[in-house]
Amino acid sequence: MTKTTPMIRLTLSIAAASVALFAQGTTQSILEKPPVDSWPGYHGDYSGQRHSHLTQITIDNADKLGLAWIFPTGQGATIKSSPLVVDGIIYVTVPDRIWAVDARSGHQVWAYTYPPNKGFHIGHRGVGMYGDWLYFLSADGHLVSLDGKTGKERWNVEVADATRGYWTTMAPLVVRNHVIVGVSGDFDNLRGYLRSLDPETGQTQWTWYSTPPEGTPGATTGGTTWMTGTFDPVLNLLYWGTGNPTAVLNGKSRPGDDLYTCSIVALNPDKGSLVWAFQPSPHDTHDWDAVETPVLVDAEFKGQPRKMLMQTSRNGYFFVLDRTNGKSLLTTPFGPVNWALGIDAKGQPIPNPAKEPAPDGRLVAPDEGGLTNYRSPSFDPTSGLFLVDAHPAYGIYFAKPTDGDYGWAGADYTVWGKGVLEAIDYKTGKIRWTHELGPFGSGAGVLTTDSGVAFTGDATGNFLAVRTSDGKTLWHAGSGAQIESSPITYELDGRQYVLTSSGGILFAFALPESLAPRKLSTE
Amino acid sequence: MMKPLTAAALPLFLLAAGHLIDAPLEAQTAAAQQATSTQTKAASKELIESGKALFRQQCAFCHGRDAGGGETGPSLVDSDLVKRDKAGSEIAGVVRNGRPERGMPKFDLSETAMAGVVAFLHDAEASNVSNGKRRGVLPSDLRTGNAALGKQYFEGQGRCSTCHSPTGDLAHVGTRLVGLRLEQRLLYPNRAKTKATVILPDGKSFSGEVAYDDEFSIAIRDADGRYRSWPKIPSVKVQIDAPAEAHAELLAKYTDADIHNLMAYLQTLK
Repeated sequence: MTKTTPMIRLTLSIAAASVALFAQGTTQSILEKPPVDSWPGYHGDYSGQRHSHLTQITIDNADKLGLAWIFPTGQGATIKSSPLVVDGIIYVTVPDRIWAVDARSGHQVWAYTYPPNKGFHIGHRGVGMYGDWLYFLSADGHLVSLDGKTGKERWNVEVADATRGYWTTMAPLVVRNHVIVGVSGDFDNLRGYLRSLDPETGQTQWTWYSTPPEGTPGATTGGTTWMTGTFDPVLNLLYWGTGNPTAVLNGKSRPGDDLYTCSIVALNPDKGSLVWAFQPSPHDTHDWDAVETPVLVDAEFKGQPRKMLMQTSRNGYFFVLDRTNGKSLLTTPFGPVNWALGIDAKGQPIPNPAKEPAPDGRLVAPDEGGLTNYRSPSFDPTSGLFLVDAHPAYGIYFAKPTDGDYGWAGADYTVWGKGVLEAIDYKTGKIRWTHELGPFGSGAGVLTTDSGVAFTGDATGNFLAVRTSDGKTLWHAGSGAQIESSPITYELDGRQYVLTSSGGILFAFALPESLAPRKLSTE
Repeated sequence: MMKPLTAAALPLFLLAAGHLIDAPLEAQTAAAQQATSTQTKAASKELIESGKALFRQQCAFCHGRDAGGGETGPSLVDSDLVKRDKAGSEIAGVVRNGRPERGMPKFDLSETAMAGVVAFLHDAEASNVSNGKRRGVLPSDLRTGNAALGKQYFEGQGRCSTCHSPTGDLAHVGTRLVGLRLEQRLLYPNRAKTKATVILPDGKSFSGEVAYDDEFSIAIRDADGRYRSWPKIPSVKVQIDAPAEAHAELLAKYTDADIHNLMAYLQTLK
C-alpha cells in the first residue's frame, strides 16, 4: 500500500494536468466550432442550424433509445431554456434559477438562486459562457456573471429598468470579448435595444436601439430583442430578430413601417452599428415578433453558391436572404396566412389594412402565437430541409378607440390551432413533408443530426425521433408534461446523448451500453 | 409575445360550466358586481398589493399587467368567472389545476398567496368597471352584421344547415350565448365531443367519447364511463367522428363579413 502511493499520486497529477489542459471553459474557437462533447452556445454553434455532426444514433437504431438519466429540478416552472454543455457539465435554467449538472450522470454539481424580485417570470432561455464565466439574465433586467465551476456570483449589473416595464429572459450571446444581451417588454411603449457588455467588467460597450426614443411624435416604440441571435465570424456580422411595435394591436398612432420592429438586422458586433435590415412584418398589428432564429446557411441557391440567412417567421412566411446584404432570395408562406395583399419588390409582405384589428373583429391566420415562435427550427445540410414546428392557427383580433394607444391596446383570441412538424425545401419554399403533432400544438424545437435523424416533441408531451428525409417516426417516449424547449445533443465517453426536457425535468436519452459502450476518449 | 396557441382559457372554462350560461347575463353580472364590491371593501390594501406583486410576476404575461388581457390570456377584469368568484371559490381551482389543454399552466400557490391574487383580481375588476376602460369585447361590438345575409349564408354557402337548425340545436342560442362567447363557439365549438369507434382484430368494437388521442394511442370513455385505451397499431382500426372539424375547415373560407352576418343572424335566435 505504502509502496504504491507515489505511483497513485503520479497518476492523479497527470490526470489533473490533462483535465486542466482540456477543461478550460469556452474559447472563441470552441464557440465557432464546438467539439462533439459540447454545446457551448444557445444554438450549439453560431449558425443557428441546431444541427449536429454526431452519427451514433441512426435511423436503424433510434428505436433502441432509452433513458440514460433524468434530472428533476424539483420546482414548478417549465424548462424553456436550451442547456449548455461545456467540460462535461450541463447548465440549465428557469427564471431565477441555474443548475450545473454532470452530463454523464445527471448528478447536480451546484445550484444558484437569484434573489426574489418583481420581474416577469415568464420563461428563461439559458446562459451564455466565456471561458469559465457564465452570464445569466434575471427577470428584473440584471446581467449576472458567475463562476461556472462553483456558481458563485462575480458581478451583477442592471441592463434593463424593470420598474419601467422591461424584463429579460434570453440567453446572452458571447462573441469574442462581447457579451450581447437583448431585452423584453411590450406591455409598455418602450424602446427595444441590444447591448454589448465587457465579459470581465460588465461595462457597456455599445447599445443599439431598434426604435426612436419614447415620445417621438408619430414614431413607434417596441422592437424588443428577446431571442438569441446568430453570428458569422467571416463576415463579422451579428444577426438579430426584433419584436413587435407598441402599441401592440393598434397601429394608428405609429403610421408607416415602424422600423426597426419585426425586423431582421445585421450589426457589426464590435461597434453595434447597423449594416442592413430586412422587415418580415412592416407595420405589424398582430404581435408577430420577427425574433425566430436567423439560421445561417452556406449552400447553393439557383445554381450559385450563397451565404444565406433563413427564417421561418412568426407571421407565417419563410424568408431566404443573402446575408451579405439583406436582399431577398425567397419569400413564401409555410402555412395558412391571410393578412397580406402580396409581396413587395424587397420580398417583404404587404399588410392588408382590412386585417388590422377592428372593433367588430377580424379573423386572421396565423393567430397571435404565430405560425412558429421561440422554439428552434433546424436546418439539415445533407437534405437541404429546414424543419420547423409549425402552428397553423386562426385568431380573432379586436381593437377600438377606447382601447387606447398604449401597451396591448386591443384584444385577441385564438379560435383554432394545431401543431405540425414541417420540412421546407429551402430552394423552393415547398413543403416536402408534414408530420401532425396534435391539437393546439407543441412547444418543442427541432434538432437534426448527420445520420438523418431529427428530434422534437408533440403536443401531448411525446418525445419523438423522426427520419429527416420523410418525417417517419422512428422512436417515441411519453414524458407526462408539456415540452417547451429545443433538444440538444453531445457525445461523452463514446456515447451520444440527446438532451431534452418536459415540464421541470431534464431527460438524457442514449443507446443501450451494449450498443454504445462507455469508454474514455483516450482509449 | 411568447406562449403559443393558448386559446382563451377562462371563457372556455365558462363554456364548460354549462349551467351557468343558462342564466341571463345581466342578472349574473349585477349579482356578481354586488358581491365584488363587498369583497373589495373587505380585502385589505396590503393583501391586494401582495397579490398584485405576485400577479405581475406569474400571471401578467398572459393576462396583462392590470389583468386586462395580454398575450394569449383573456382579460380577467370583465370575466364572469372572476365576478362570480367568492373569496377564491372559482379562481383558486383554475389557478391550481390550470387548463393544460389550453396552455394555462397550473400554479402551486400557498393559501396566503392565493388570497392575495384573488383580492387583486376583484380589486382590478371593480376599478376597471368604475373607470370604464375595459379592453374586452362587448356584445354590442359584435352587432355590425346583416342578419338577413347571415341567414342566407347559414342556409347556403356556409352549409351550416347541414348539421344545425335554428329551431333545433340552435333554438334560443342568442340568449344562451352572448357576445364573444357566441362568436368563439361559432368559429370553433370546443365543447363539441369527438367520438371514436375502436375495432379490434377479433371484431369486437368499442365506441365512446375520445378521452385521449395521440400518434400512438387512443382512449375513450365508454357508455359506462369507463376509461379504455388501445395502442394505435395496424390491427386496431380507429374511426373518428369529429363534428367540430367542419368548423375548422370553414376558417379558410370565411370573409369577415360572413362572420359578422352570421353573428347578427344567430343573435336573432332568442
